[in-house]
Amino acid sequence: MPPKSRASAPPAPPLPAKSSSASKSGGGSTSAQDIVQGIWSKYTAKTPQRVKLLDSFLAFLVVVGVLQFVYCVVVGNFPFNAFLSGFSATVGQFVLTASLRIQTNPENKAEFENTSHERAFADFIFASMLLHFFCVNFIN
Amino acid sequence: MRGLFSFLLFALLGAVQAASYTGSRLLVVLEDESEREKYSVLLEDLTARGYHTTIESPKSESLSLFKHGERGYDHVILLPAKSKGLGPALTANNFLDFLKKEGNVIVALSSEYATPTAVQSLLLELDIHIPSDKGALVVDHFNYDSASASEKHDVLLLPYPAALKPDLKNYFGGDGFIAFPRAVGQTLGNESPLTAPILRAPSTAYSYNPKDEADVVEDPFAVGTQLNLVSALQARNSARLTVVGSAESLQNKWFAEKATLAGKAVKTENRDFAKKLTAWTFKETGVLKVGKFVHYLDDGVSKRINTSAAIPEHNPTIYRIKNDVHFAVEISEYSYDHLTPFVPAPSDAVQLEFSMLSPFHRLNLTPISHTANATLFGVSFKTPDQHGIFNFYINYRRPFLTNIEEKRQVTVRHFAHDEWPRSWQISAAWVWIAGIGVTVAGWLAFVAVWLYSAPTMERSGKKTQ
Repeated sequence: MPPKSRASAPPAPPLPAKSSSASKSGGGSTSAQDIVQGIWSKYTAKTPQRVKLLDSFLAFLVVVGVLQFVYCVVVGNFPFNAFLSGFSATVGQFVLTASLRIQTNPENKAEFENTSHERAFADFIFASMLLHFFCVNFIN
Repeated sequence: MRGLFSFLLFALLGAVQAASYTGSRLLVVLEDESEREKYSVLLEDLTARGYHTTIESPKSESLSLFKHGERGYDHVILLPAKSKGLGPALTANNFLDFLKKEGNVIVALSSEYATPTAVQSLLLELDIHIPSDKGALVVDHFNYDSASASEKHDVLLLPYPAALKPDLKNYFGGDGFIAFPRAVGQTLGNESPLTAPILRAPSTAYSYNPKDEADVVEDPFAVGTQLNLVSALQARNSARLTVVGSAESLQNKWFAEKATLAGKAVKTENRDFAKKLTAWTFKETGVLKVGKFVHYLDDGVSKRINTSAAIPEHNPTIYRIKNDVHFAVEISEYSYDHLTPFVPAPSDAVQLEFSMLSPFHRLNLTPISHTANATLFGVSFKTPDQHGIFNFYINYRRPFLTNIEEKRQVTVRHFAHDEWPRSWQISAAWVWIAGIGVTVAGWLAFVAVWLYSAPTMERSGKKTQ
């Protein structure tokens, strides 16, 4: 996460200029590194803090999920219910978090006129607790 | 009233104390009343052992093996007769029906008389074969009695038979020699698993018909040890039929006769052998009885101490898969007039099958303890990882022993929902427990940061938009 914190640290105003120059230069050169850097800087500049927080949690869940799956493939799935439970807890949490991200993303405001952020977050909390309850039950 | 009751009780006891395990009514089929004298010692011995003997001629009008549809006698001795037919009461079918009703039969053959057709077809039905021509007899030029048959060599002197197989008990063993004068040899077919030879002819014996006026015996009926002098059949219902090749060997004159075998004087032990033969055929020996048949759950030492009921429930109807189960069965063997603990032959074992269609376990039972008249066999095992309807099944079939076929049905259920091991007891599950833990912890941290970091910036942002 260090690059992200570094990126979010600079104040907002200078960034658009930078990104515009980057996009200009990106249009000029086809270097993949430039493209990625352009995307990254645009992301850090334009994304609200809460969406970034959601994204970092999603990234964390992806890492945890991949680790569990790789472990299952390498070592074996002996208590299969345990694997299902652990993996589906992560995947389910990812899905719920993604839903929260869709509902609270300012860009989707038009589609969720009637859903306040508080309501979306309360749904998220409720669904997550339900998920955790089921997973803990299922792993026995 | 009480007197009547005790009289009945004594009568019952008297019936119970009869020698045979199945009954004491004995029918001796003898055509010629004058021949009775020849068998008097045998008949007296049988009466002394508790048999109620009825002697009937095959021609008798009143003779019938059955009475009111049940067997009228428990045992039959069929002695050879001059006439070729045995009459309508003693057909092969009648004898087979008698065997089906668990009656026991001794058929004595003689080379002097033609074997009745009823007996011939009866033996053919049972896969026991005898020479078809009258007068065929067994001859041995090495093991003959030189005192009485120095010329014809047709009185065989044989030692007591050894056990048929090393893992079988020998009910006909003894010391001394048995005389078999003018015996009709039998051979056993390969098809029937129910027949067994009791006494085989020695390897130098052969069966031939002295009426064939040839110097060299061509194509004899059978030779060597494939000839049986005494053979037995035990049906699936444990009814027994014994074929004695020489009826003469059961007669008084051979019961303790002085004979000479290869220049050595010996005394025949026919009386003792006849006793063993009749005792086996009439179910005085080689009868197995199953007593207690017990199975129960082994809860483990700790659990058993804690519960108030120290004795586990006997013969429960349901077990779980992977349960530890104890099994015990009491088996007695009847020996002449009492039950003794049954001890299988050294290389043999009674086996328990735990089976659903096919056996999932087939285990040797080991003797745990002996009582005065029974052996307690037991084994403990773990029920297989398969639920369904299972049987505790003992199927013990050995030549010369009555068959044991005992079954008890139990249900084996799968694990109940709360009987599985908890996840943390399985170390392999720890990784995924950690997976859930990390997910939940990450979620909590996320919620905390969300709630903490949210208000001002986000709300203002929302408002401006």
